[in-house]
Amino acid sequence: MNYQWNWGIFLSPAASGDSTYLGWMLSGLQTTVLLSLSAWLIALALGSLMGVLRTVPNKWLSGLASAYVEIFRNIPLLVQLFIWYFVLPELLPASLGDAFKQKLDPVTQQFVSAMVCLGFFTSARVCEQVRSGINSLPRGQKNAGLALGFTLPQTYRHVLLPMAFRLVVPPLTSEFLNIFKNSAVCSTIGLLELAAQGRQLVDYTAQPYESFIAVTLLYVLINVVVMTLMRHLENKTRVPGYLGGK
Amino acid sequence: MYDFDWSSIPGALPFLWEGMKISLEITVSAVIFGVVWGTLLAMMRLAPVKPLAWFAAGYVNLFRSIPLVMVLLWFFLIVPQLLRSFFNLDPNTDVRLTSAMIGFALFESAYYSEIIRAGIQSVPKGQVAAASALGMTYAQAMRLVVLPQAFRNMVPLLLTQAIVLFQDTSLVYMSALADFFGAAYKVGDRDGRLVELLLFAGAVYFFICFAASQLVRRYQKKLNAHVAH
Amino acid sequence: MISIDNVSKHYGSFQVLTDCTTQVKKGEVIVVCGPSGSGKSTLIKCVNGLEPFQSGSIIVDGISVGDPKTKLSKLRSRVGMVFQHFELFPHMSITDNLSIAQEKVLGRNRDEARAKGLKLLERVGLKAHAEKFPGQLSGGQQQRVAIARALCMDPICMLFDEPTSALDPEMINEVLDVMVELAQEGMTMMCVTHEMGFARKVANRVIFMDKGQIVEDDSKDAFFGAPRSERARQFLAKILQH
Repeated sequence: MNYQWNWGIFLSPAASGDSTYLGWMLSGLQTTVLLSLSAWLIALALGSLMGVLRTVPNKWLSGLASAYVEIFRNIPLLVQLFIWYFVLPELLPASLGDAFKQKLDPVTQQFVSAMVCLGFFTSARVCEQVRSGINSLPRGQKNAGLALGFTLPQTYRHVLLPMAFRLVVPPLTSEFLNIFKNSAVCSTIGLLELAAQGRQLVDYTAQPYESFIAVTLLYVLINVVVMTLMRHLENKTRVPGYLGGK
Repeated sequence: MYDFDWSSIPGALPFLWEGMKISLEITVSAVIFGVVWGTLLAMMRLAPVKPLAWFAAGYVNLFRSIPLVMVLLWFFLIVPQLLRSFFNLDPNTDVRLTSAMIGFALFESAYYSEIIRAGIQSVPKGQVAAASALGMTYAQAMRLVVLPQAFRNMVPLLLTQAIVLFQDTSLVYMSALADFFGAAYKVGDRDGRLVELLLFAGAVYFFICFAASQLVRRYQKKLNAHVAH
Repeated sequence: MISIDNVSKHYGSFQVLTDCTTQVKKGEVIVVCGPSGSGKSTLIKCVNGLEPFQSGSIIVDGISVGDPKTKLSKLRSRVGMVFQHFELFPHMSITDNLSIAQEKVLGRNRDEARAKGLKLLERVGLKAHAEKFPGQLSGGQQQRVAIARALCMDPICMLFDEPTSALDPEMINEVLDVMVELAQEGMTMMCVTHEMGFARKVANRVIFMDKGQIVEDDSKDAFFGAPRSERARQFLAKILQH
């Protein structure tokens, strides 16, 4: 095989003229990070809410939350993404759907759909982690909160959730990593995130190995950074004298 | 309001079924290969031979830190050319299905290996000691004593991972290979009925995965009841 | 103070409590005992509404626990409870464990709550541990903190649900000492416990339960002297063997 390696390709001006191929990579990286972080905020907020609902004594609310989880867990991410991006704007009331399709520029449309999709998809997983965190606390903790005169919401806020969140930091770390990896699926609707930029580079430069190796390494780098940050968080939230605390 | 028109689905069912067969083929081959290669990786990782353990750890960590989409891009854009130049194949040979299968199998085996490793580690150490005391070698102890116990506990997790894998096969859409999702997209695109076809595809995936996960849950309950007695 | 009248409770077809009736007057100390599964913990949890019951009534200080209009959280803030497994909040320091409910439920300000907490911590002999976390204390110490936490709310009565049964033997007495002191000060107490020494020392009455029913409800002298039922006799014989 006689492949011509050329790592200098990243510094040569890109086809778009206004930047280098390295610039393409970095803008892809930026989109991936921005997309993942904003989707993560949605996932955490929605997932925590649903996770709490799954544990409340009210059958209707817990049933609703469990249906929510089943829907988002049993449809492939790619299908969900296409439904958010292609189907939902059609089903919205005409004025809203048209506003989405005509007023927003295509990049924003792609980004918003991708963010909402990843956020909802991941929230179902966060929900299950939060639920199992709450359920793994001793039953007496809830009773102790109630016996002191806390209302049920107060018991969740002061007693159950602070402890449950500490317990679920490790499993949430892996969901947080997943959201970065899953964001690559969004290249399929044309969003120019990291994987899409890598693919575009192949089309423009005919240097597929350099491009794919660079993208792969950038994903590994994201992974390492996130794991380091989360380990730091884990140490910071560790409870003294409890579960391997100091 | 949107006017639904589901009329293009009935006629497309045979085509969609062909797609579903491809999805299932990829799933089954990746599960089988993933479990076998995953078991080997897990045993390497737990083996006392350092280089083997390092290799397995490196493999698993690499594949677990990159997106499946990225792995598939490697296998759709780069590996086929390699295969062709290696085996001197006709440039028009369609190796997409083969490379998709290999890509999924190699990727999933990293995840399977972690499940299996946890399963092996959940078997009490005393079991290996007891097997050695009976005169078994390490390999015999693994094969006859540890793995059978480990697998019994792992089956629900392995099946759940298979359901995830089945959902992930929709990503072969990227290679323009007509799996179930790719087929649905093509029909929708052709008839200008993307909305209906995407919703239909979502419903089919939901029905299959939900039913399968309920079965796994029931099996898990049976297993737990069995252990409790 | 506490009036339990014909209380019954079932989970599905399983009867947990059957027609339980008893009264606790102000300043009285009642010990509830019986074999495991006899419903004694359930009964005591009905008193502050942690366990719902289907029929009968419980009146605490003039307020009906089973009435859906009763604001249970308000009632519970006035009834102290101590649990078998302490149930301190592991993510908070001892001081915060003592003051959180004072602040969030009773609306006391932070300084007042902390001062009250420290005073009671001193009373149970653990002032030096104020800034530690529950996981850093022994079981006996944690249970004494839990008693202090309940006392911080200025309760009108105290419920104890097997407070010493999760403790190592050498730690039981430090907890019982605190409870005896509390009883001698005139606190109204309802204690589920197997500590018969404690019962002999401070109980006014002993209630013996079996299979969800109150089998005996008598003065301690009568109970220890000559239990009326065969089941209570057997139970006492078993307990006193150790």
